[in-house]
Amino acid sequence: MGDMLLELGKKDAARKVVKNLGIPLSLPQELSRPAGPWEEMPLLDVDAAVGHLPGSELAPQVARALGGMGVLVHAAADSKKFSHYQKQGAARGRLAKALDMDAKPEGLNFRVLIFDATGVSDPAELEMMYEFFHTKIRSLSPCGRLIVLGRPADQLEDVSQAAASRALLGFVKSAGKEIGKKGATSQAIYVEKGAEDRLEPVLRFFLSDRSAYVSGQMVRVSARVKALESFTNIRPLDGKIALVTGAARGIGEQIARTMAGEGARVIVMDRPGEENLTAKLAREINGSALNCDITASDAAKAIKDHIAENYGKKGLDVIVHNAGVTRDKMLANMDADRWNMVMSINLLALIASTRELLEIMPDNGRIVCLSSIAGIAGNVGQTNYAASKAGVIGFVEALAPTVADRGITVNAVAPGFIETQMTAAIPFATREAGRRLASLSQGGLPQDVAQVVTFLASPQASGITGGVLRICGQNFIGA
Amino acid sequence: MPAKKNTAKPRRAVIVGGVRTPFIRAFGPFTQLDTIALGTACVKGLLNQFPVEWKELDSLVWGGTILPGGIAVNIGREIIFDAGLPDTLESYTVTRACTTSMLSTTLAAASIERGDADVIIAGGSDSTSNVEVRMPPTLVHKAAPVVMSAKSTPVDYLKLLTKIHPKNDIVPSRPSIRERTTGELMGESAEKMAGMHGISREDQDAFAVQSHTRAAKALAAGRFSKEIVPVETPGGETVYADNILRGDTSVDKMARLKPAFKEDGTLTAGNSSALTDGASAVLMMSEEKAKALGFTPLAAVTSWSYDAVDPNDQLLIGPAISMPKAAAKAGMTADDIDIFDIHEAFAAQVLCVIKMLGNDEFCQQRLGLDKAFKKLDPQDINLLGGSLAFGHPFAATGTRMISTMANELHESGKQSALLGICAGGALSGAMVLEAV
Repeated sequence: MGDMLLELGKKDAARKVVKNLGIPLSLPQELSRPAGPWEEMPLLDVDAAVGHLPGSELAPQVARALGGMGVLVHAAADSKKFSHYQKQGAARGRLAKALDMDAKPEGLNFRVLIFDATGVSDPAELEMMYEFFHTKIRSLSPCGRLIVLGRPADQLEDVSQAAASRALLGFVKSAGKEIGKKGATSQAIYVEKGAEDRLEPVLRFFLSDRSAYVSGQMVRVSARVKALESFTNIRPLDGKIALVTGAARGIGEQIARTMAGEGARVIVMDRPGEENLTAKLAREINGSALNCDITASDAAKAIKDHIAENYGKKGLDVIVHNAGVTRDKMLANMDADRWNMVMSINLLALIASTRELLEIMPDNGRIVCLSSIAGIAGNVGQTNYAASKAGVIGFVEALAPTVADRGITVNAVAPGFIETQMTAAIPFATREAGRRLASLSQGGLPQDVAQVVTFLASPQASGITGGVLRICGQNFIGA
Repeated sequence: MPAKKNTAKPRRAVIVGGVRTPFIRAFGPFTQLDTIALGTACVKGLLNQFPVEWKELDSLVWGGTILPGGIAVNIGREIIFDAGLPDTLESYTVTRACTTSMLSTTLAAASIERGDADVIIAGGSDSTSNVEVRMPPTLVHKAAPVVMSAKSTPVDYLKLLTKIHPKNDIVPSRPSIRERTTGELMGESAEKMAGMHGISREDQDAFAVQSHTRAAKALAAGRFSKEIVPVETPGGETVYADNILRGDTSVDKMARLKPAFKEDGTLTAGNSSALTDGASAVLMMSEEKAKALGFTPLAAVTSWSYDAVDPNDQLLIGPAISMPKAAAKAGMTADDIDIFDIHEAFAAQVLCVIKMLGNDEFCQQRLGLDKAFKKLDPQDINLLGGSLAFGHPFAATGTRMISTMANELHESGKQSALLGICAGGALSGAMVLEAV
């Protein structure tokens, strides 16, 4: 069943009625989502306000990212950093404009608010960040983007600096809850020293519509993984071979479609019995269908044979472990079959197949595993599922450092309430709660997950590894 | 950036001559001449000026942007018939917006280089006075089954008449040069670019005056006497000269013109190129053939580059991409180039292009160069004027520039020229010519 409030919120008249009658009902904002594949300049001529502390260091990278996306930058003209925005702006025919840092902007709506707090040495300095957002946040457009940049606290030796760094996350999470009702998102991006040149594509993603359902997150950008590959801004997966498990329907299907749209040759894998669906999808996206039980002992061999047969000698560039099941039952009533089935599909098969498939993964490969909010927060009746999905997080954290020198990244994503056949079967009240418990006050769509997974599978994401990214509209559970 | 092309090719394509018709403002003396007639006059003029034996001709490569679909699309072939050239001379017609006749020239050069041909006429023509007025598709869809069927009876025609809606089906749609994707007029896109790069009305007007003044001076010095061939109109009048050029214009006169595309805009009829009728063509040969036939090569076609950008961003910025790329393919840096010639669709667009050619970030990001290609002043380019002064019959501008630059290299003793043209669809083209 569809989201009635969201449907209602799409109608201006309904919004007015609700407002004028004073009905205590907040109608969610329909999220702005990308209509097609990655674009060269996805934010053509939108306005962005950029602020920073005097000692902040990321102006060159921010200027490049914004300039490349076609953004019109507004920044403090009296700072040395303004020259970076001027330089990038002049090259794009979009000269940066002067902006008063602690005054309300007149007649401007910002699609993007960015504050570079990398130079913070003491929490007292964060007053400048407060002033910046305090005066600008009302000018943030619907479905806008708020981003704060910092240095990871665990890399800072000074306690005041570390405290200030951690303060950014609290700020971002609260701001996200305030702007969520207008469909806007908020993230903290922590950039390790030496990883500055990995920031640009990460910013491009989080500023774009592709991160529509990601909010309140902490993203860590590091240079731990070797970046051995150059890339272009469009069609990031061109020529890559990607395996998507559980791809016959739902989120997996959407991941396969989105990756194919970015140029990947997708192996549409699902269990035997889904031949019709996998074959149909493979045909539509010019991929190949593989029907095989991921828990079978020879599953990895079947995948390798399939690649050799269908794609010649090429290796496997991307693995998306999406296949998963739930067998919910209160722990006291849960039989061993339920426990074992969930663990073996969701975790054991994932570990076993990855180990073998890594043998044929070339440098710069990408592994993305589907975890779940349940794996972070736990859920009644899901001891088996939550254990398996938490295990996935442990797996990516441990595997990532071991393959970093091959340029391979390993990440997990944790979807929250996503509108699928599975969630449509949840009882009404629970389902409604699932939706409204998020800052964005609505469920996500399979394509929201697919966009994030596709980004993490791209060469652009070389700065992100060993982490888990929530795609939950900033769901209050486990946050 | 592309690497230097393999220049160890055995054959060079050279230009031995080029001519054009006078360039005439739309709906003037050339109104009765369609693009085929203009092309025919031009090709005949070329062969008068450079009398190659007809049996030597291998091909006629023509170009047009406003193709008279109802009459003939391969207008090159029609020109052969109308000019009385041999029926056995093959021809094709290309279209690539304002770079069209640069394309016909480089296609000809490519076939000469690979030994397919020795002698080719390349050129292009456009008659903006003869833009086809399209009937609404609804009328076409209703009428076509009746009109196209041999079995239709007068009753069918009567029935058809009753179905036609006087307003929706009869009023033809206005022809325009709007971009299909963005809906913008070319001038609106240029106006947008002027705003983006902060190009002032004064700078645009000054550049337009420079174009007119330089063109008038060159004309007075007899510089174009060999390049412009007279054209006889159906009315019996013979047109000898361009009619857009205003040698006596000044920045004061320019300043009095009203904005043309936007109320508070900076583009005017004076600093934008005019809708123009005309044709131009070059005679191209392999270097050996030219020598064997006793022709003096004026210049060789060394390299070219065709490119495209995002029409939603800066429609006409392309030459800033194509010009450095064409130079690189010739193995040249900007310092190796003696003459810069950029098509003047709008003064604003030219000024935007040279600004980006001189911008470090642009050249690093868009071209992968270490720094700016070259910092050019407006005075450094278009030494003999440009499209603002001569006019701009879309498909004739390329070979107009190529002829003039080939002659300029030959006469001035300079070594190289880099030509750049912006085009609708956010396309661009550039080529390097070298003295022979």
